Amino acid sequence: MRRAAAAFTLLLALAAPAGAHTLDEYLQATLISVQKSRLMASMRLVPGVAVFPAVLAAVDTNADGTISPSEDQAYAHRVLDDIRITLDGQTLAPQLVSAKVPAPDVLKDGLGEIRIDFTAALPRGAVSRKLVIENRHLPRVSAYLVNSLVSPDPDIRLQVQRRNADQSVYELDYTQASGVAGATAVDTVGFGEMFRLGLRHIAEGTDHLLFLLALLLPTPLLAWGGRWMGCTSVRSSLLHIAGVVTAFTIGHSLTLALAGLGLVTVRSGPVEVLIAVSILVSAVHALRPLFSGKEAIIAALFGLIHGLAFATVLGQLGLSQWERAVNLLGFNLGIEAMQLAVVAATLPSLLLLSRTPAYAILRVGGALFAGLAALCWIVERTWGLQTPVDLVVNALAQRAMLLATLLLLAGLICWPLRGASVRRAA
Amino acid sequence: MKAKFARLLRSGVLCVICLVPAGAMAQAGPARMLTAVNAFFGTLSPSQKQKLSFAYDDQEQRMRWSNLPTTMVPRAGLNLGSLSATQRNAAMVLVATALSARGYKKVQEIMGGDEVLKSQGGGRGGAPMFGQDLYYISVLGTPSASTPWMLQFGGHHLALNITVAGDKGVLTPTLTAAQPGLYTLNGKSVRPLGAESDKAAALFNSLDAQQRSQAVLSSRVADLVLGPGQDGKTIQPEGLKATAMTEPQRTMLMGLISEWSGIIYDDAAATRLAEVKAGLNDTWFAWSGPATANVGSNIESYYRVQGPNLVIEYAPQRGDPAMHIHTMYRDPTNDYGRRLAAR
Repeated sequence: MRRAAAAFTLLLALAAPAGAHTLDEYLQATLISVQKSRLMASMRLVPGVAVFPAVLAAVDTNADGTISPSEDQAYAHRVLDDIRITLDGQTLAPQLVSAKVPAPDVLKDGLGEIRIDFTAALPRGAVSRKLVIENRHLPRVSAYLVNSLVSPDPDIRLQVQRRNADQSVYELDYTQASGVAGATAVDTVGFGEMFRLGLRHIAEGTDHLLFLLALLLPTPLLAWGGRWMGCTSVRSSLLHIAGVVTAFTIGHSLTLALAGLGLVTVRSGPVEVLIAVSILVSAVHALRPLFSGKEAIIAALFGLIHGLAFATVLGQLGLSQWERAVNLLGFNLGIEAMQLAVVAATLPSLLLLSRTPAYAILRVGGALFAGLAALCWIVERTWGLQTPVDLVVNALAQRAMLLATLLLLAGLICWPLRGASVRRAA
Repeated sequence: MKAKFARLLRSGVLCVICLVPAGAMAQAGPARMLTAVNAFFGTLSPSQKQKLSFAYDDQEQRMRWSNLPTTMVPRAGLNLGSLSATQRNAAMVLVATALSARGYKKVQEIMGGDEVLKSQGGGRGGAPMFGQDLYYISVLGTPSASTPWMLQFGGHHLALNITVAGDKGVLTPTLTAAQPGLYTLNGKSVRPLGAESDKAAALFNSLDAQQRSQAVLSSRVADLVLGPGQDGKTIQPEGLKATAMTEPQRTMLMGLISEWSGIIYDDAAATRLAEVKAGLNDTWFAWSGPATANVGSNIESYYRVQGPNLVIEYAPQRGDPAMHIHTMYRDPTNDYGRRLAAR
């Protein structure tokens, strides 16, 4: 079967029309941007039709014909391993920021672009600096392109670029004035960038979102005899929700600050597992009260864990200590802003629905979904197994506005039924 | 008597026929585009118009262009093949009003090349992949004489992004490409990007040894550096600076640039060329590839012209460099007329 597939691929390659890009090369185009204390790089890798099988073999290591997120990451790390970067003779450690590999059927036409973004922390040095990037990834089939973006920082001036014939070796001479005045300007730019990164981290970090939503689910309700019963007053619901969100914020701000400033270091693996566990606990709590009345304390405790995960994002950027301190605030404010937006979008619907019998369906359904997702993440993050959880959760997250609207509609439709559950509880 | 009257009538009708387009020509580019776009809208059904229209600031639609065939990178809007003869005619009149005469000719020759590819049996599994039917038109924003709006037209090897605001028009970013780079139509040889090749060859051949050593990059440039998806980026310029060129060479460089800046309708082209000229002392010319360049046949070398608000790249494609060329025309400070809209 595998052989048949390979033969088919070859046939397609041969049958590719004149107009399609029958390239026998693996184009690796890199754009770099030098900043005071870090290097940012963005790579586009485009395998030509003829070299596609070789590239696919390098990416799809388990040869199942699909490219999983973990294969994305592993391939990106392999590329980074093949790239040697030195600054003034000192070898730098590139860190992966993101990796995106399109589906094999897109790649096989010689059109898909693999995108790899990475960064490297730049040590301090003299005014005149020499950066060398040597790319040894798949040299027999590759064509390389390297260019530097002009720096918006007036203190950094690019002088000379030198390359060998195939651009696999790129040298950049530049000067870096060590003015303090310049540093402030750059850090202000960084602040806005970091604010947006914080926004995005929550918007795209579906596990954080799911935790928050699972935790909010039972907040308008009253626990009685080990079960969730009727709801509390609007005022007390609101106070309760505000308390939970504030506690979560205090918790994650604390650890984000500690880890972000390098005062605490943790490995990201166990933290990611603990985050999945926190979702599971919140989901179970939404089904049956585990820590009713103590949600704020639990939220603060779990906040500590989530803060550590936020900090790993900062770590990946390779910021200097000083940049971290300034940018930490921007990042954290971004997280808060997006968190508040999520609460604002769901709170009215939760309050409306919690006064109707329909809320039990939402609470139980939501809790089961969050619990199942959490279990999948625990399995993925502990044993490295593949589950469809990201696929499903991301698909839902992309329709967040639609879902929030539907929830509000459901709340409005069910509103006439209000009181029923309260009466039953009484 | 009767014959005389008929002759008079005929010449009268002829006069009126000639006056109508002359009147239209007397209008400025954006006004002509506005008339043409409303005429085009008038031919469309509500659902067609909906398919054609996007919000002015629809970033996804703005960036939905490529050098690749539409079967591989799907475009949105209306494709010419889906239009009736009247609608298609109105669409092409609209495109023509946005362009200069030589710009429109270039566009037709690029599309003609794609038709040649189609006739050579390109495409996979029966579904057509090339040809003039597969060019898409779209409008971003509400066409107006005062507020900015955009016209997009393109497909395989072509992406025109034309932003108009009041009496100003901007063409960046725009991609032109050609395959085949040379073909015969009705017994005539057509080179869609022939002038781009010839003018660069002439400029390159005029360089003396010292200028040449600066202009020629020692490394191979395998593709466009700032192709589709690379909006707003400014790379470190390289090559020979225009301050190291003689006056005739600087004139040749301006002439080369006009092959792209002159695609848009004449008034906007003149404004743009003046802007480029103001930055000429900071404009660079870089060359990578064979040093043999002949006027009359397509060069096989990559070149780049870069100024303070200009990037032009000419990139012969691997495998068939003379017959398959991609080019890119950018103003990193003015993608999709961002500077116009900010005013």
